[in-house]
Amino acid sequence: MTLFEAFEVDKLFPGVRALDGVTLKLEAGSVHALLGENGAGKSTLIKVITGLYKPDGGRLLLDGQEVHFGSPHESASAGIGVVHQERNLIPGFTVGENILLQKLPTSRGLVDRGRVRSEAARWLAELDLDIDPDLPVTELSVAQAQLVEIAKALSVESRVLLLDEPTASITPNEAERLFRVVEKLKNDGRSVLFVSHKLEEVFQICDTVTVLRDGSSVLESGALADLTRDQVVDLMVGRVHEALTLPPRTVGDAAPLLELSGVGTASGHAEVDLTVRPGEIVGLYGLVGAGRSELAKALLGLDRITAGEVRVRGQAVRIRNVRDALKNHKIGYVTENRKEEGVFLEQSVARNIAVTVWDRLLKRLGRIPGLSYVPKKTESELVAGYVEQLGIRIASPEQLAGTLSGGNQQKVSLAKWLAAKTEILIIDEPTVGIDVRTKDAFHTLIWDLAANGLAILLITSDLPEMITLADRVVVMRDHRVRGEVTNTHDYDTMSQQVIRLIHAGTTAAA
Amino acid sequence: MSAPVSETATAALHEPDAPVEQPRGGRTPWWANQRIGLLILVVALGALFGILRPAFFNQQLVVFPLLRDIAMFTVVGLAQMCVLSIGHMNLAVGRMAAFSMMITGISYDLWHFSLYAGLLVGLIAGTAIGALAGWVIARTGVNSFVVTLALDFLLLGLIPLVYTGLTDNAAFVTKPEGMREMRNYSLADICIGNVCGSPAVPQLALFAVIAMVVVGWIYSRTKLGRELLMTGTSVKAAELSGIPTARRVITAHAMSGCLAALAGFMLAVSTGSIKATIGEEFMLPSFLGPILGGTLLAGGFISVWGTMLGTALTSVIRKGLDLLGVGLESLNIYLGLILLVALSTDRVRTVLSDRQGVRER
Repeated sequence: MTLFEAFEVDKLFPGVRALDGVTLKLEAGSVHALLGENGAGKSTLIKVITGLYKPDGGRLLLDGQEVHFGSPHESASAGIGVVHQERNLIPGFTVGENILLQKLPTSRGLVDRGRVRSEAARWLAELDLDIDPDLPVTELSVAQAQLVEIAKALSVESRVLLLDEPTASITPNEAERLFRVVEKLKNDGRSVLFVSHKLEEVFQICDTVTVLRDGSSVLESGALADLTRDQVVDLMVGRVHEALTLPPRTVGDAAPLLELSGVGTASGHAEVDLTVRPGEIVGLYGLVGAGRSELAKALLGLDRITAGEVRVRGQAVRIRNVRDALKNHKIGYVTENRKEEGVFLEQSVARNIAVTVWDRLLKRLGRIPGLSYVPKKTESELVAGYVEQLGIRIASPEQLAGTLSGGNQQKVSLAKWLAAKTEILIIDEPTVGIDVRTKDAFHTLIWDLAANGLAILLITSDLPEMITLADRVVVMRDHRVRGEVTNTHDYDTMSQQVIRLIHAGTTAAA
Repeated sequence: MSAPVSETATAALHEPDAPVEQPRGGRTPWWANQRIGLLILVVALGALFGILRPAFFNQQLVVFPLLRDIAMFTVVGLAQMCVLSIGHMNLAVGRMAAFSMMITGISYDLWHFSLYAGLLVGLIAGTAIGALAGWVIARTGVNSFVVTLALDFLLLGLIPLVYTGLTDNAAFVTKPEGMREMRNYSLADICIGNVCGSPAVPQLALFAVIAMVVVGWIYSRTKLGRELLMTGTSVKAAELSGIPTARRVITAHAMSGCLAALAGFMLAVSTGSIKATIGEEFMLPSFLGPILGGTLLAGGFISVWGTMLGTALTSVIRKGLDLLGVGLESLNIYLGLILLVALSTDRVRTVLSDRQGVRER
């Protein structure tokens, strides 16, 4: 039975047809995948379904009846719940209050705390979640927060649930937990729409799939059982997707650019040894929480180094902040937290890229000392160079970075470090939430940067990515280095070795 | 060659058939531009008041003082805009003006400084007190709202204390040469050959023009201005891009203090006295101009023109209603209503343009 249908929906933006006759059918008791590359129209479609955008053509049908949603509130009351990619819990409130936020139970105008607790507990129980409704949401882990958001989406008695990239920022174990919840929702007769870039997950939990490409549906409600992974990828990218082949690259035996010996930090690292030579990609692997990003931040002076020595180009250094790292040591850091730390969403692409190089572009105004400005022309030429080189797709350099897709934002986040001509680049989770083709392009790019002599420290939780790129893999757990493997680029043997290192000693430690 | 990236990588990143990004943000329809809306509103209201009361166009009695007001409150608005640019507030904007003018008054009274030397001393004092506020905020991490509120109270007590210690009537009586003239000079007093300026435009307005040009230039063309806006957009991202965010916080507050001092000076000149109550009426209007003009409260986006136009709108409404004989209490009610309508039509415009998928800026 079809619960919800978007029938031949069009959505026009000035100069572009974002959705072109897209049809999406959601059946009761089924999990439907919505796939497509960045910019294919997935988010636009979700915004149309939830009433954030008004469609320019086509119809939305709920139980066969045509519906018009003027706002997300209207779609929610009609029984369409949505969990967005961004966290939407209110920090100062408890789990229970957040779950029931859309219709808090009250008695005589005051919030009825008892009923908040009991009703929230009911929804949590429905999802088999063992979370205390009285807990402040700030104390939840990312994955728990995600599950609470699902409970919140269900609390409006929704029969259709839209999950936009729910696993982008949680660990595989936590994802399994989420999938059990999805499975349960499905068995209860609800309809779930699952948007993800991780095809393995899609094949694991979804029944049917709709694939979008350039705003049109190239596959409507195909049964996943009849499809292979490659077929789906081909549909998404619109051509036969070839496995990435990278040209050979050799690491010389030049002196290391970056050396850590016996480093300890205020966030708990101890005895960390690490070297990165020019032209080398060193992979830093570990599970979420192993302390990899924290190590990177300590290297940049954002956390205190309490023991050991950091040497850059053979000289012992004490880096005070990012500015110091950039100006005096030519170290750059591409953060994992793209939206909050990597890109200035509300600023133009041009400023996002040029931010690290204004110093270099400065021109004196007349002969007055200390009075200088950034010449617009030089700046836009520099920006245009990187936009061109990295293939950043924008209408104009003045476009706000927040309006770009994740992949293009990531390119912008990287571009500023290339512009700054850094020689040591720490790249943290470069391809989270990025589609297959852009991912390949990123891998080629990182490979190439190393081939041109940059020393790269690559932090990633994506094992295939690590095995594709790294020359050596350093494995970290509990803020300590657990071992090092020279990469053979053979997935099976490498993954076994790395995983063995991750688990080595855990039983003893526990 | 701007980075070491080979042909292969470049080729891989350029997918000819890659999906087209929604080209948003670059093309805002003209009706969604806040500044143009404001300009139309100011002109239309001016014309309306002029038709209802032809006296509204009287150069000496109405236009001259109106422009003097707009000029002063524009500078007040700019003072607030500077801290709004980094997502902060300056609740002590009026009291900073009073403090600076107190120092200026002392320089005239005790040290017999000339008019402009006293102004310079005042600007330095304003910059210093602003920088102090910024330093406390940057060092302690306490919200700017709280710090400037505390500073406001501190100055509220300190300033009258100094005045009573140094003066007889809580005002400095020594007026440097040229102060009285500056109050009444208009562009008519500046002639190039036989061509003189309009008698409706006060010379004091030149201070506002200079402030607008300098602040506008800083924000649009200099590294400092850009770093302030980047800090306002995201402190975290700014820190991780190598921007010295703590120093920028101090700079923004110092600029705010300096502009507050300039506004205080303009007020002192136009009222003809340097007294403890200077700047008392600055705080609320300081927010109105920038916000009506499109400056974001959250930081990261400013508009110098918008601040001027927003200030002009409130001043025109005030003056017009005053001429129509509306009493002070009712005047404030009308003013509040008109501002609410102006702000909400603006919000409606934003939502409409967002619906169309364009991004206002």
